[in-house]
Amino acid sequence: MRIRVAHETVYRYELPAKSAIQLLRLTPRNHDGQYVVRWRIEVSEDCRLDPFEDAFGNLTHSFTVDGPVSELRIGVDGEVETQDTHGVVRGSLERFPPSLYLRGTELTRADAAIAAFAEETAKGAEDALGRMHALQTRIYETLTFDPDPTHAATTAAEAFALRRGVCQDYAQIFVASARHLGVPARYVSGYFLRADGKVAQEAGHAWAEAHLSDLGWVAFDPANGICATEAHVRVAVGLDSLGAAPVRGARFGGGGERLAVTVHVDQAGRQSQN
Amino acid sequence: MLSRAADNIFWLSRNIERADALARILDATHRLTALPQASAGTTNEWQSAVATAGCVTAFQAAYDEANERTVTEFLAFSPANPASIRNCLETARSNARAVRTALTGEMWDVINGAWHRLKNFDGRNMTREEFARFLAFVKEASLAFDGSAFRTMLRNDAYWFSRLGFLIERADATARILDVKYHVLLPAKERVGGPLDYFQWTSILRSVSARTSYHWVYRESVKPWLVADLLILNRQMPRSLASCYENMSRYLDDLAQFYGRQGNSQRLARAMLTRLDNSTMEEIFQSGLHEFIGSFIAENNRIGGAIAEQYLV
Repeated sequence: MRIRVAHETVYRYELPAKSAIQLLRLTPRNHDGQYVVRWRIEVSEDCRLDPFEDAFGNLTHSFTVDGPVSELRIGVDGEVETQDTHGVVRGSLERFPPSLYLRGTELTRADAAIAAFAEETAKGAEDALGRMHALQTRIYETLTFDPDPTHAATTAAEAFALRRGVCQDYAQIFVASARHLGVPARYVSGYFLRADGKVAQEAGHAWAEAHLSDLGWVAFDPANGICATEAHVRVAVGLDSLGAAPVRGARFGGGGERLAVTVHVDQAGRQSQN
Repeated sequence: MLSRAADNIFWLSRNIERADALARILDATHRLTALPQASAGTTNEWQSAVATAGCVTAFQAAYDEANERTVTEFLAFSPANPASIRNCLETARSNARAVRTALTGEMWDVINGAWHRLKNFDGRNMTREEFARFLAFVKEASLAFDGSAFRTMLRNDAYWFSRLGFLIERADATARILDVKYHVLLPAKERVGGPLDYFQWTSILRSVSARTSYHWVYRESVKPWLVADLLILNRQMPRSLASCYENMSRYLDDLAQFYGRQGNSQRLARAMLTRLDNSTMEEIFQSGLHEFIGSFIAENNRIGGAIAEQYLV
């Protein structure tokens, strides 16, 4: 499937900022289920986009802007050709052994409630794959999708206590639970082509990957209750949402800021597979 | 476009690229064997040239010994070798004639002109100077062919098929040079590169016309692992495996968009691009350069087969 992504992040500062620095994990890599046809990052100010790979191998860009700047736009426009691999991620760049992804972070710490939830969910399943599927289904059923109560820095434990959240919270609860069960898991940020045909979205998508000894990395999307399909465009991975955050930055001066994100994910040109 | 026409265009470019690769191999071998024995080593470079061209069996059937005369004759002129330079150019011309109306006038002039000029070189009793002129003629013909294709062809399926033939052959040629010479590129801790190695490495660079590029990219003396990096993973280098697959994936994608359907060749080429993208030279050396090259050549052939199956038959 050919997926066209247009993603714009706009910062508006109350007072013009003196300078800003941004770190972008906005560029997908190729792997067996995904081929990046074209991809471009545009920034509204004159600056040099410095490309590098972070520790996890994510394609990362950084830039600094010398102000005064009252509005900063970071746009991404690209096309990706994807194939359904039933969630199995092969051919991805792996810089670390899977056991590294057992490491907990503040955002993905399993508190007593998540630990109990994970253990209870794991009971019925025979093997690790079954446990991960059960986890995905139960998180999908237990939580209510609600963008209001949680924010970017909400931890898995907080969101789980509320039983509410967005895809980021679903993914972090999954990651925390899987790690509690001894399965290496990581957070994935990316884009999702919605089945209901809604092209304009409020944000990018997030899901999780778990490492199983016989299959390797398998992508689970608890917010949709499915393993990743050809509708998922995988961009960056990390230990938690902070590590895979599409845009991070800081500014000097500027007073308050308002952030607006628009994401368009659409199917570009229909093709049949033969 | 009819698959018969696509097939001819594909093989037209492939044959021209092959003639060019052979000319460069012969040129590099001539240079290497012109060195004193102490510098050039005791390996039979003429034997290596035949191996690099991938026609050892056919050569052994026709000749007893690999030396300057027999190898030059076999790789450049022999009618018995289906992949000699002369046969490549002749086949290219008949490919071109079969699809004359799908080519631009400029492309046809280049191929037809080269075919006529080929008759001036009979291949018997040529001096080294005459032979050098012949190699220069072959390289000029391939440059003029690519230039005319680039400057005059419509960017449609005909152009993409011509680029695919060229890139498959190019990737194969680079990989086979590495396959024959991999042993001089292996990092050996105890061995300090002597003159022998230096000339071997330089000769590899020459055979893909990358000696100057090497110094532009790395800005240091010739080191074997950097030569391997340039030829395998460096996307700036147009003969590197990664560059060939970057472009093949793109042209296959253009074809898929143009025809509105995609298949095995797209998937295989993308998988190879991903594999090259996600590799580092350390990993390739650790898991074995020779195994890597061997599996690349096999996979490249498979992708050539997939393109043929999908579009050319």
